Amino acid sequence: MLRLEDYEKIIAKCSHCSYCQSTCPSYLAEQSESSVAKNRLLIIKEMLMHENLPFTPRAQEIVDNCLLCTNCTQTCSSKVPIDDIIIAARIKIGQKGVGGIKQFVMGKMLTQRGLTGALGKAGSLAQKLGIATKEIPQLASKSFDKMYSGTYTPAGTVKKRVAYFVGCGTNFIFPDTGEAVVKVLNHNGIEVIIPKGQVCCGIPALAEGDLEGARSMVETNIKLFTGLDVDAIITDCTSCGMMFKEKAAKCLSDDDPLQEKIAAVTAKIWEVTDYLQNQGLEVPPGRLDITWSYHVPCHRGWSPTVKDAPRQLLGQIPDAELREFDIPEQCCGGAGTYFMEHREVAEKVRALRLQDINNTVSDVILTQCPVCRFYIGFQVMDREVTHPIKILAQAYGL
Amino acid sequence: MQGLVKDLATLLGSTQILSQPEEMLAYANDATHYFKSRIPDAVVLPHTTEEVAKVMKYAFEKEIPVTPRGAGSGLAGGCTPIHGGIVMDLKRLNQIVEIDGSNMTARVEGGVVLKKFQDTVEKRKLFYPPDPQSGCVCTIGGNVATRAGGPRGVKYGTTGNYVTGLEVVLPDGSIITPGGKFVKQSVGYDITHLMTGSEGTLGVITGVNLRLLPLPEADRTVIVVCETLEQAAEIVAEIIARGAVPAMLEFLIKLAITIMNQYFFPPLPTDGEGYLFMFFDGTEAQVEYEAKLVSEICHDMKAKEVRLVEDPRAAAAYWTARANVYPLIQTIFERANSEDITVPRNKLPDLVRAVQEIAAAEEVMIGLAGHAGDGNMHPSILFPQVTPEALEKSEFAIDKLIRTGLDMGGTISGEHGIGIHKSKYLAWELGDIQIELMKRIKQAFDPKGIMNPGKIWMEDGDKHA
Ligand SMILES: Cc1cc2nc3c(=O)[nH]c(=O)nc-3n(C[C@H](O)[C@H](O)[C@H](O)COP(=O)(O)OP(=O)(O)OC[C@H]3O[C@@H](n4cnc5c(N)ncnc54)[C@H](O)[C@@H]3O)c2cc1C
Ligand code: SF4
Ligand code: SF4
Repeated sequence: MLRLEDYEKIIAKCSHCSYCQSTCPSYLAEQSESSVAKNRLLIIKEMLMHENLPFTPRAQEIVDNCLLCTNCTQTCSSKVPIDDIIIAARIKIGQKGVGGIKQFVMGKMLTQRGLTGALGKAGSLAQKLGIATKEIPQLASKSFDKMYSGTYTPAGTVKKRVAYFVGCGTNFIFPDTGEAVVKVLNHNGIEVIIPKGQVCCGIPALAEGDLEGARSMVETNIKLFTGLDVDAIITDCTSCGMMFKEKAAKCLSDDDPLQEKIAAVTAKIWEVTDYLQNQGLEVPPGRLDITWSYHVPCHRGWSPTVKDAPRQLLGQIPDAELREFDIPEQCCGGAGTYFMEHREVAEKVRALRLQDINNTVSDVILTQCPVCRFYIGFQVMDREVTHPIKILAQAYGL
Repeated sequence: MQGLVKDLATLLGSTQILSQPEEMLAYANDATHYFKSRIPDAVVLPHTTEEVAKVMKYAFEKEIPVTPRGAGSGLAGGCTPIHGGIVMDLKRLNQIVEIDGSNMTARVEGGVVLKKFQDTVEKRKLFYPPDPQSGCVCTIGGNVATRAGGPRGVKYGTTGNYVTGLEVVLPDGSIITPGGKFVKQSVGYDITHLMTGSEGTLGVITGVNLRLLPLPEADRTVIVVCETLEQAAEIVAEIIARGAVPAMLEFLIKLAITIMNQYFFPPLPTDGEGYLFMFFDGTEAQVEYEAKLVSEICHDMKAKEVRLVEDPRAAAAYWTARANVYPLIQTIFERANSEDITVPRNKLPDLVRAVQEIAAAEEVMIGLAGHAGDGNMHPSILFPQVTPEALEKSEFAIDKLIRTGLDMGGTISGEHGIGIHKSKYLAWELGDIQIELMKRIKQAFDPKGIMNPGKIWMEDGDKHA
């Protein structure tokens, strides 16, 4: 239930091996062990759990500077769920009321309208909060849910039925991803149901330590997706997928009656390219003369196959050629709303990412995370950054 | 230490100094955090040799202890600042200065991460074999300072075999460059290799010249399941005696395999007690021949199963899991204290038997894994719970283990170094005369005793003195 007290034994499993140093973007940006996952655990243990030392503003800053990218958790060979512990710490900080104005206001915005609520309001609130950044993504003139809702049935026989969870990124910023998802699935004989009334998955609120907000979103979404007669529930966003698969159940107490439904829903969650690759394409894609590079989103740990799915799926397009980055799995610094609140660290992280991107020649950069898409996109002028499903749609001529 | 932080900020600028306790918690120890810890008075993060020299000169004048630190992944407490003072984090000295393909040499700064260096040279079909399993984080400076090695030691030796030159900042701030880019030298005392393994007690390693090899074109992984631990050890001794030279020859027990199985599909059988992971590299014909030869030896010696791994992805999974054994063990036990005994290889079966006898006699759990190919074993005392009684028993058992290893003509540390963790046993292996000699060498380098004080040998007043 993301209660800090419950992690007492688990946090002691940290063997101080320092492996997390190799993948923690905030460490790579700051090059100081104070900003590594291990030190965050030590601060949380000494200052928030055991209260051996006072919880200082600097300690708060170090806990806040975590991007919740989960790279440490994926790297940690002692299997310490570091990101959960950091979330639990933020929840506790919020409850103690020491989180300050930013956390409060961000929390409020996120509860109301999810990620895009924060993005939409960020402009007007920018000065007041000092979170101004010129790099705020444009909202689409018409959100996806205004254009698509209900059931989309393929022309021929229906091979499978899926429900589509539409994340904030697709709904408000990149409806083009959503369109491609529906078309590609239909083209492969898969019926798509888009339930009305979906809300943000809850991960941005959770990242702010707003457990209440996240819980209410989980409840709304789970109720919407419960009991649908579908083979799978798909999302195009790896962070939404992670929220459903790994975090939703943790937002409620273990004995909450909703847990059973959460388990049933999350058992069916798939990222869309992962689902298609797993099912196998019904229709072989057409020729597409394109070179592409793949930026693997950080929130990939919840499915063992999600990071290879785009590679294998687009590998079936004749003439499309994958040009791998030197380090395909390197955080871009965007991290939900992080880039607005921690501009300096985010930009340092992105600068490291851009070195690799600029050294790799390709026509297009693909990634399944909408935040990576716009945050990298702000600085990459020579190529489009988009979702892999769009290239597949293009290969189908859809 | 009044004014220390201010002085350091004047020297290097405030962005290169840490002094708040919440910034420094991580600098209080290494991967042996359950031994001694000490929050340093300040951490400095230099970018250049000149900055290192400035700090050393200052510390020398003021007689402030300085503890060099790489990744802090050490397993001997070497970078724990037991006397406080300054911790010098060297990870910002992270440039690969030169890779010279025509000379098969490279030059790196002390803080370069091992894996980054290996990946870089391998892209150019070159090969840097030393492979401490912490490669994703540990630094080459730290590797040199601890003379680190890994599974490839059996065929390729350890870090010391590849160092041809260094740049070192001495405790008084002067800079020396022993050795060089050449691959041999016979000029006076070999300071390069005296620094190699000096555990930060003689100076700060800021630059390293390394020898490279051509990247082997082919490799093969073979996994062997053995009925008993003794059988596994005997197979190792036989392989070595028959002149086969695997690039890696690792020994593991069933417990490790059960934990590692989460990495494998299909999982390895768990009906054996001892397991050998072998790796052959070289030309295609060579690896084919060696893998076959060794498989035959294993069959002759009645191994339960010999698995030749063809799929490179599967092979990679076995070796990743192997690299994670030590931390994985910690997910199950409250603590695991890893020893580093190395014996002549024909003594391995005796050592394996002795370890089991000691575990039974002292009523402790001892896990056993190691780079069996070079006789380097890591018996680990496993604590389901850390209690005063368990600690006492474990100390007793470790004493016995170490004594046994030494009696077999072995050494107390094959690759981790002494630090604070094993200083108790130093005299057992080296005797007083050698230790006295080392102290005089230390005195010559570090007359004021500021360089990583309290390491390698016991200090007066230490618990076991
Ligand atoms: C999970 C795990 C597995 C490991 N596996 C192996 C293994 O297979 N083989 C092996 O040999 N070791 C292994 N180790 C131990 C450790 O990684 C090595 O000892 C490594 O060489 C330490 O490098 P470091 O950069 O972390 O050095 P640190 O731990 O930071 O320091 C080690 C010592 O070197 C000194 N030092 C560091 N950098 C410098 C410098 N630039 N100049 C002067 N002195 C310096 C320090 O003062 C200290 O005494 C393992 C550790 C872990 C946690
Ligand atoms: S990788 Fe895990 S066990 Fe190792 S230091 Fe980081 S948090 Fe601790
Ligand atoms: S979640 Fe990411 S930023 Fe946060 S500690 Fe882990 S690796 Fe570092």
